[in-house]
Amino acid sequence: MEATTRPEIPPGTLYMLILKTLARVGAMHGYGVAQHIQQTSDDVLQVEEGSLYPALQRMLVKGWVAAEWKQSENNRRARYYRLTPQGRKQLARELEQYRQVSGAITRVIEAV
Amino acid sequence: MMELFRRLQYLLNRRRFEQELDEEIRDHLERKAADGVQPDQARRQFGNVTLLKEDSRSAWTWVWLEQLSQDIRYALRTMKVNRLFTLTAVVSLALGIGANGAIYSFMDAILMRSLPVERPEDLAVLTWRARGNAPVVHSHWGESYDAPGGGVVSPNFPYPALRVLWENNQSFSALFGYVEAGHLNMVVDNQAAIVNSECVTGGYFGGLGVPAAAGRLIGPDDDRAEAPIVAMLTFDYWRSRFGGDPAVIGKAATVNNIPVTIVGVAAPEFYGVQPQMKADLFIPMAHQPTVRLQPDGREMFENGNYYWIQLMGRLKPGVTLAAAQAQLGGPLHAYIASTATKDRERAALPELWLTPGGSGMDSLRRQYSKPLWILMGMVGLILLIACANVANLQSARAAARRREIAVRLGLGAGRFRVIRQLLTESVLLALAAGIAGIGVAAAGIRLLLTLLATAEDGFSVNVAIDWRVLGFTFLIAVAAGVGFGLAPALQTTRIDITPSLKQTRSSDPRSSGVRWGFLRFGLSHVLVAGQIALSLLLVVSAGLFVRTVSNLHSVNLGFNAENVLLFNIDASRAGYKGAALASFYSLVESRLRSAPGAIAATSSDMPLVGGWTSRTSITVPGIPQPPEGQRGPNTSFTRVGASFFETMQVPIVAGRGFDERDAGGGSNTAVVNQVFAETYFPGRSAVGQHFSMGSGPNKLDLEIVGVSKSARYSSLKQQIPPVTYLPWRQVAPPRRIGELYFEVRTHGDPLALANTVRQIVREASPLVPVQGVTTQKARIDDTIRQERMFATLSACFGGLALVMASVGLYGAMAYNTARRTNEIGIRMALGANRGRIVRMVLSEVAALCVAGAAVGFAGVYQGTRLLKSMLFGMQPTDPGALAVSAGVLVACAFIAGFLPARRASRIDPMTALRSE
Repeated sequence: MEATTRPEIPPGTLYMLILKTLARVGAMHGYGVAQHIQQTSDDVLQVEEGSLYPALQRMLVKGWVAAEWKQSENNRRARYYRLTPQGRKQLARELEQYRQVSGAITRVIEAV
Repeated sequence: MMELFRRLQYLLNRRRFEQELDEEIRDHLERKAADGVQPDQARRQFGNVTLLKEDSRSAWTWVWLEQLSQDIRYALRTMKVNRLFTLTAVVSLALGIGANGAIYSFMDAILMRSLPVERPEDLAVLTWRARGNAPVVHSHWGESYDAPGGGVVSPNFPYPALRVLWENNQSFSALFGYVEAGHLNMVVDNQAAIVNSECVTGGYFGGLGVPAAAGRLIGPDDDRAEAPIVAMLTFDYWRSRFGGDPAVIGKAATVNNIPVTIVGVAAPEFYGVQPQMKADLFIPMAHQPTVRLQPDGREMFENGNYYWIQLMGRLKPGVTLAAAQAQLGGPLHAYIASTATKDRERAALPELWLTPGGSGMDSLRRQYSKPLWILMGMVGLILLIACANVANLQSARAAARRREIAVRLGLGAGRFRVIRQLLTESVLLALAAGIAGIGVAAAGIRLLLTLLATAEDGFSVNVAIDWRVLGFTFLIAVAAGVGFGLAPALQTTRIDITPSLKQTRSSDPRSSGVRWGFLRFGLSHVLVAGQIALSLLLVVSAGLFVRTVSNLHSVNLGFNAENVLLFNIDASRAGYKGAALASFYSLVESRLRSAPGAIAATSSDMPLVGGWTSRTSITVPGIPQPPEGQRGPNTSFTRVGASFFETMQVPIVAGRGFDERDAGGGSNTAVVNQVFAETYFPGRSAVGQHFSMGSGPNKLDLEIVGVSKSARYSSLKQQIPPVTYLPWRQVAPPRRIGELYFEVRTHGDPLALANTVRQIVREASPLVPVQGVTTQKARIDDTIRQERMFATLSACFGGLALVMASVGLYGAMAYNTARRTNEIGIRMALGANRGRIVRMVLSEVAALCVAGAAVGFAGVYQGTRLLKSMLFGMQPTDPGALAVSAGVLVACAFIAGFLPARRASRIDPMTALRSE
C-alpha cells in the first residue's frame, strides 16, 4: 500500500482537463491524454483509467470529441480522440466557469 | 437531437463498440507495460475493468432502459424455468381477477350505470308509499313492494295525478310519464316482428334530454288522442332491423294492425328508462289503448282509482329531492283524498315519495342487487385466496432463492437493484395474470348473461368490459404483484450474506416462526389455514345453494309437469275479436288434441308455476268483510280450456272438472282448489256453493262445480293460495281473453312436437305467430333461474376455491417436506417406517385443516345468515350441507397433502443424509 495519497482531480474538472489536453496536442489516444495530464501537472494529477474511459465515452455521446482508429508511432492501432467545434465551445465554457470559481475560492481563503 | 442519433447508432453497433473498448484497454495496458510498469500492478491500478466497461457502456444507453430489459429477460428466463410455479400463480390470479372483473362489470351495468340522458343526477322517480295496502287503489297495473319501514311502495299513479302535479308544480322543470307497453306486432314493408315497446308522454324526451339520432322526437303535439299515431325507434333497433336506413323515417307501418308513422330515432344507447327492459319502439301515451287494442281503454286516462302510469321529473336547479317532495306532497295528497269515497280508503292514502332517478327505475336493482353483492363477496374471497396462493408461492420461492440473492449481493449488486429485479418478476407475473384475467372476465360475462337471460322477458342489460373495469382489473393485478413481490424481496435482501452463503439447501432458512408443540407455524401456515377457512365459506355457500335448488326441484307440484309442451299465441293481435277469437282458440285446442304424438291438450291464460299471479277479492256468503284496511277474502285465478284437469293431471277430489256444459252461455261455473274449499267452506262441501269475484260492474257470480287437489299456482316457493279455475270460454268482457297458453301432453319428448304445433297454428291462421315454444318443466325451471344461477355459480366458485386452496396446501407441504429432507432421513435412519412419515406430514395437514376450519366455521356462522332469504326449505346452518362441505374440504386437503407426504416417505435415508 502506498504511504502517501495522491491528490485527486477535483470533481467536475476532468472534462476540462481532457478537452484542454486535446486542444493543445491535437488528436491523441487515451493513454496519451492521461500521460500528458500527469506530466504537465508534474505528477500531481493522475487520471484513473476507470474514470478516463467512461468520461471519454460520455464526451463522445455529447459530441465534444470525435474518435478515429489510427496507426500510432510504433505501428500499433489506437483510438485517437480529437476536439470537435462543439468541444472547443464547451472548453471555453468550462474554463470560464473554472476561472470564476477558483478566483472566488482564492479570494475567500486569502482574505485575512 | 444528434445525441439521440448517436445513441441509436450505438444500439445498432453494440458488438463493435465492445470490441473497440476491449482493444483500447488492451492497448492502454501494453503502453503502460512498455513504460516500465509491472503488468499486474498496471492492472491493479486500472481497477475494476468490468465496472469500467459498464460505466462506458452506460454512457451510451439509457441506463434504466438497459436494466429494465435485462430484468425482463432475466425474469422471463426464471419464469420459464419455474414453469409450474408461474402457471399456478398466473392461473390463480387470472381466475381471481377475471371473476372479479365479470361480476364488477355486472354491478356496474345494473347498479351504478346512469341513464344516458342529460344531467341524470337531477332526475327524480315519483313513487308513493302507504300504510297497509292502500284500498283507494281499486285497480293496479304495475308493481308494488313492501316498504322498508312497513307498508307498501309503488311507482304507479292514476293518470290524472300527472295533470294535478304539473298544475301545482314549483319544483320540477319537467314532469313526464311512461309505461311499459309490452310486446307489439310491428309490420314494416310486409315484414312482421314482435317489438318491445314503451308508451311515453309528450314531455318524455324533452324532459330526459335525449336527442334524436334521426328524424324528430315524440313531442307534446303527438300526445293527443286526435293526433295521427307516430312512433320512434331506438337506435339499436333502427340499426339491427333497418341497417340504420334514413328512409325508414316517415315510413308507414302497422303496430298490432293499427297504422302508425315512424318519425324518428332516439340517440344511441338509450333504451328507455328501465334498465332491464330494452325498448325497441316508443309510442305516444295518448295512443296506448289504441295500439294495445283496448278500445274501451280511454277510461284509464280519467279513472282516479286506477294506478298505472309511472312518473319522473327533472328537478329545477337548486331544488333538492326533499324540497320537491315537501312541495308536491300536499297537492298530491289532496288529489288522492278526493278520489277516496270510503273511510276505509281514507285511512291509508298513498303519499308521495321521491327517489333518485339517475339510474333508471330500480326494480332491477331491487331484484338483483343483493345477489350481486353476494356474488361480489364470493369473488372477493376468491381473489383473496388467489392472492394468498401467490404470496405463499412467492415467499417459498424467495426462501429458496436466498442463496442466489446472497451470491448476487456478495458480488456487489446493489440492494435496490436486486429488489427491483424481484419486483420486475412480480409485476410481470401480475401483468400476465391481468391479461389472462381480462379473457376470463369476458368469458365470465358471457356466461352470466346466458344464465341471467330469462326466455320470456327479453331481459337485457348492456354489459361490456369498459375501460374503467379494465383499469380496475389491472390495478388489482399490479397491486397484488407488487405487494406480494415486495415483502419477500425486502426480507430476502436484508439477509446477512455470510450465513446464507454457508447455508445449505436443507437447513432451515426461516428464523422467525412460533414453535407450538413440534409444529412450526410460519407465514405460509397462516396463509394456508386462511385459505382453508375462506374455501370452507365458499364451499358451504355452494352446498346451501345447490341444496336449495334440489329442494325446489323436489317440491310436490300437484300436477304432472313431465312431457308437456307449452307455447302461446295471441290471435287478438291478428284482428280476431269476441266470438271469433274464442272459436279460433277452440279450433286450435281441438286440433292439438288430435295431433299425432299428443295424448291430451288444453289451454290457460297463464302458464302454471310461471311466476305470474292474477288475484281478486271475492264475496263469499257467510264470510264477513274484514276490518278496515285489511285484505279480505280473495282468490288467485286462472282461466283454463277444456279438459284442463285431465291434461295437467290435477286430481278432482269432489264434484267434476270442466266439460261441454261449461262451454259458455248459461251460468258461470268454477272449480276451486282444496285450500279455497277449506278456507272459505270449512267443514262442509264446497261443491254447489256460490260466491262472486271482483266488485262493481265487473262482479262475476260463480257456482262451484268441483274441488281439485291443491296444485302449485305461481311459484314453487310460496304457499299454495286459494285458487279458482274458470273456463275462459264463458268469461265475458271486460275480462276478455287475449294471449293464450296451450299445454300439450305428449308420449315422448315434448319438443319433438314443436313443428307439428307450428303447422297446426299456421293452418288455422298464417297471421298468428307461435311464441315461446318450451316445455312445462323448462318454464318452471325459469322461475327458479336465479336460484339455479346461484347454485351453478357458487358451485363454480366453491370448486375454484377448493382447487386454489389445494394448490396452496400442496405447495406449502411440498416445500416444507423438501426443507425437512434431512430430518426425515435421520428419522428413517433411526427406524421410522414409511407409514410413520406419512402420518407425520398428514398430521401437519390435519392441524392446518382444524385451524382453518375453526376460523371458517366462525365465518360460516356469521356469513351465511346473509344468505337466509335466498335459501328454500333449509336453514343457513343446515347440518347436512355443513358436514358435506367440511368433508369435501378435508378430502381435498388430504389429497393435496398426501402427495408430498408420500414423496417424503420415499426418501432414501442415505441420499437424504448425503444431500448436504
